[in-house]
Amino acid sequence: MASWYIETDKLNEIAVSSRVRLARNLKDMPFPCRMTKEMFASLKNRVKTTIDELASEGIKLRFIEMNDVPENEVGAMVERHVISPDFAANCNNRAIAISDDESISIMIGEEDHIRIQVIVAGFNLEDAYKTADMLDTALGERLGFAYDERLGFLTECPTNIGTGLRASVMLHLPVCENNGDIASIADAAGKIGLTVRGMYGEGSKAKASLYQVSNQITLGISEKNAIKNLNVIVHQIIDREKQSRKLIDRVKIEDSVMRAFGTLKYAKLISTEEFMKLISLIKLGMNEGIIDNVNISPIRLLIEAQPFMVMRKYSVSTSVERDEARARIVGEFL
Amino acid sequence: MLCQKCGKNPATTHIKTVINGKVTEQNLCSHCATNSGYSSLGGGSISNLLASMLGQSMQLHRQKEGGTCKCCGATFADIAESGRVGCATCYSEFEEELLPYLKQIHGSVNHTGKIPGSKELVITSTTDPIAELKTKLAALVATENYEEAAVVRDEIKRLEGEK
Repeated sequence: MASWYIETDKLNEIAVSSRVRLARNLKDMPFPCRMTKEMFASLKNRVKTTIDELASEGIKLRFIEMNDVPENEVGAMVERHVISPDFAANCNNRAIAISDDESISIMIGEEDHIRIQVIVAGFNLEDAYKTADMLDTALGERLGFAYDERLGFLTECPTNIGTGLRASVMLHLPVCENNGDIASIADAAGKIGLTVRGMYGEGSKAKASLYQVSNQITLGISEKNAIKNLNVIVHQIIDREKQSRKLIDRVKIEDSVMRAFGTLKYAKLISTEEFMKLISLIKLGMNEGIIDNVNISPIRLLIEAQPFMVMRKYSVSTSVERDEARARIVGEFL
Repeated sequence: MLCQKCGKNPATTHIKTVINGKVTEQNLCSHCATNSGYSSLGGGSISNLLASMLGQSMQLHRQKEGGTCKCCGATFADIAESGRVGCATCYSEFEEELLPYLKQIHGSVNHTGKIPGSKELVITSTTDPIAELKTKLAALVATENYEEAAVVRDEIKRLEGEK
């Protein structure tokens, strides 16, 4: 299987990706905020040994010391959603274990000792959770996770205690964003214990009209029910976006989409900001059958044209060089 | 008060910015706030928020003996200031102080999810159709899908009547 951002274009849906994250800590070690450098080394060793053991059971993960990863690649990993921006901000002493297709990534030494993340294409939280749960069981049996009968899995931040589960679905909502519905959707989601945030999670602004809807509450609700609740609201949001799309003037959308197509195809310099606006219109155009006989992968392009992804591939450094390289990549795709 | 930007909708978000010591204040509606990059989408740091919540119970804690965690050496003050718990043992050492906040954050202090060591995924799931429909109803109302919400509401009433 290819990465989520390549697979998702085959689905061509409003729901772009589904992600599940489990926060876990070893029971016999302080949480990262009170760990020494030696403790981080010991943590990484223990997790690495366990990861090596899992290989014999068919779970193949690559262990990477973050100190060995070049800066551009760290940024590119955030852009591909393999690691969190918080994890990237301070890579010292941290490590990661990832699968070949990057659908599984285990962050070691972030806010918790271990963060198991599974990301899949489209709207499929069940499969993402199943894989995360399997990994959690396999790792937990060997490492022994901090767990309390009453409070569940114990975490550094009390907002994650209990299941340690954060499930999220990334949605492409250009019309809801344009007509201002996003604010009321965010308010509504808040009322039932869910949050709506920008593409790169906590504190990030939405780009390319991509929003993440995720659960907030982790104590007193089972994994299954948290996912079920999220599924219900995500279905509602998708319906709302679909209904809103029916109400807008078709010619106006077609015009915007084709203008975006023309600019992306022929421009010589494209900034990230301009690119994100236009690629969002291309995705909308593909979903709505406005662009149909062209083989484009808007989400793959969206990820591959991110700043660090471009810098990594073309070894460019200035912003003009980057914008030129981006225009070249985009032109080749369209 | 009406939104200072569009002048149409009621202002629901108060924004105070300090740039080089100059304070400006704005009252915006949720739509204009979102467009200006504020609103719940921006989000604040959860640990900061938590730290301010926990700080309130510091006083209560000071009146008792101020202990330190026997495992990691954290004091409750450390936890309250950073919003971060030091280790697993802290949760039992400072249980009395932490429980009210866990209740405030999650609305519960009882884990109902996975139990480690059990091979099968143990889920104490509600197979209660009424609870399920109530979640659906909340989502429908939240997204202003009133027509379908009315159908679900009637279904809940019917099921409750059967009980």
